[in-house]
Amino acid sequence: MDNSPPITVRVFRFDPAADEAGRLEEFAVASAAPLSVMALLAKVRELDATFCCRTSTCFKGRCGSCLVRVNGRDAFGCTTLVRPGETVVIEPHSRYAVVRDVVIDFARPLTAEGESGQ
Amino acid sequence: MKITARHNTDVLVIGAGASGLRAALAAAEAGAAVILANKGPLARSGITLTAAGGMQAPLHPDDSAAIFCDDIIACGYGLADGDLVRALAEDAADRVLETERYGVNFVRDAAGGYTLSQFPGQSRPRNLFVRGGGIGLAAALAKACRSNPRIQIMDDFFITGLVRNTGGAAAGAVGLDLRNGELTLLAARAVIMATGGCQWLWATNDCPADATGDGIVYAYRAGAELVDMEMALFYPSVLVWPPSLKGAFVHYEFLAPDALDGNIYDNAGQPVLPKPLPVRDQAMRLLARAIKDGRGGPHGGLLWYVGDSPKGAAAVAAKLDILQYNYIRAHGVDPATDRVEVAPGAHYLMGGIHIDPDGRTTVAGLFAAPECAGNFDGANRLAGNGLTATQVFGARAGLAASRWAAENGGAGPDPAAAEAETARIAARLDRGSSGTDIAALRDRLRAAVQQHAGVGRDAAGLTRLAQLARETQAELAAARVPDAGVFNQRLVELLELENMAEIAGLVAGCALARAETRGHHIRDDFPARDDANWLRHTLAKRTAGGPLFGAKPLRD
Repeated sequence: MDNSPPITVRVFRFDPAADEAGRLEEFAVASAAPLSVMALLAKVRELDATFCCRTSTCFKGRCGSCLVRVNGRDAFGCTTLVRPGETVVIEPHSRYAVVRDVVIDFARPLTAEGESGQ
Repeated sequence: MKITARHNTDVLVIGAGASGLRAALAAAEAGAAVILANKGPLARSGITLTAAGGMQAPLHPDDSAAIFCDDIIACGYGLADGDLVRALAEDAADRVLETERYGVNFVRDAAGGYTLSQFPGQSRPRNLFVRGGGIGLAAALAKACRSNPRIQIMDDFFITGLVRNTGGAAAGAVGLDLRNGELTLLAARAVIMATGGCQWLWATNDCPADATGDGIVYAYRAGAELVDMEMALFYPSVLVWPPSLKGAFVHYEFLAPDALDGNIYDNAGQPVLPKPLPVRDQAMRLLARAIKDGRGGPHGGLLWYVGDSPKGAAAVAAKLDILQYNYIRAHGVDPATDRVEVAPGAHYLMGGIHIDPDGRTTVAGLFAAPECAGNFDGANRLAGNGLTATQVFGARAGLAASRWAAENGGAGPDPAAAEAETARIAARLDRGSSGTDIAALRDRLRAAVQQHAGVGRDAAGLTRLAQLARETQAELAAARVPDAGVFNQRLVELLELENMAEIAGLVAGCALARAETRGHHIRDDFPARDDANWLRHTLAKRTAGGPLFGAKPLRD
């Protein structure tokens, strides 16, 4: 086995039926190689099945299914890489309404720019 | 859990990839009210987005629908239905060019004409290229659907099953509206299944996790006949390393002498593919054989390389300066200069719900459109036919379904059928979880499909797979998840895995039935093609006693 340090992921948690506000929850993900934010979220889901995230990808960095906010900046989750040992904060994309955790509703943009995709 | 919402429409389209979008437009333009339900967000989910953008049509002056037709049948080793192939070849030019009306742009040459490229198996240059690839196509069609007042779009809507009327005709579906958590009845006079293939069943594939084959299972449960479910197409060069790139693919077609003239090398530096390049099934067979013989790299793949192209670095960089390759670059691998580790992966389903040229299934009122429908390709598919088929058969199914809705229906879903589907879903919910490890069962199933129904199959392995599929179904029957309200992803994943387990059994059963080798179906225990017995579809049909596997004649 390799001795790579884990990736520390702090993800946004929010259940509209139970929570008044969201909070960050921390997970340690073991990986010898860099992982995309999208792959990291899938790993968090394996650690905690109650965590929700989108899993569809176009393999082109374009469709935007994976749009999230990474370390305070809106980004494509599928092309944003995180290396072993790094800490990353993953929140919902800022321009759409939150459905649950980091899942957003693309039919409910919060701003006029929302529909443009980034 | 009870049904707490109901919507009525003429035509329900399930799935909003290129074929579902096109079917919705055709039905709406014919005057029908349409609900378009998609399990993810529109144009941000589904298999269409992964398409590179090649789209075939016989537009070259030396080409014709008849030549195109012959190419499809030859490439598919004679296993396609003749009437479906003729419909595809004859409608292709009109339907492909018509996408421009919806805002699609094609790559053009300096004189303004369409750029037509020639891929293996095409006897004339026939591949147009959609700007933006599958995403460009889906985005344009989605925009047209959004601006059509007759189409109501339901994003993040997971259909759980079809409902029929008391006469046995398809009359709608039950689904979970993930955004509000409501179990919803969609009552319709006609239903079009457009949910795509089941490639996610295979551990190595180049599709999104959406490709779980839901609609194929729902149609099967409703009594529709499925054909050639063993006919999964394996694309030769799908990335297997690094982990964050698993599932992306690089074009083996770009290795052609008139393209980048690159190679796929084994671990001794020997090229694995001959030139000119063979068609897909032959290419992937050579790669699979080399890997099996221990000629693979450190992660089990072979090395796709264009860094030494005689065309020069500038030409390589220009050719690969497209989204698909820039995505790979973003993950720290430069496909223009690095060796990219690849292996054959599930790419497309050629079999599926058996349709006639108007998309009719064997269930009244139920229509199907690519890729969940079949079989208009046979045992191998030409490059560029996937997207063309979405437009040809999407439009045909949409039109036929709107006519059916106008002339029939009105009976509405049988309340007992809706009640039974509701009870089936409600039974999966509990205060706590049953503790069933859904992810572990999923991974075990996908590994078994890869091992036993991948490239190279035999009776012993397929029998083991069928057994494992049944065991997985039994274990899932006891699985319970909490009623989590909005976006109950655990419930969706449980239901998807049930669909995958059922369809894995159907793939295994059909692959066992086809005791020959043809195209992408390679039986190590029956290595020869057997036209005397198997110039026929395999058939899977539901009976009270379980799946019935057999054969069905091809239509001329």
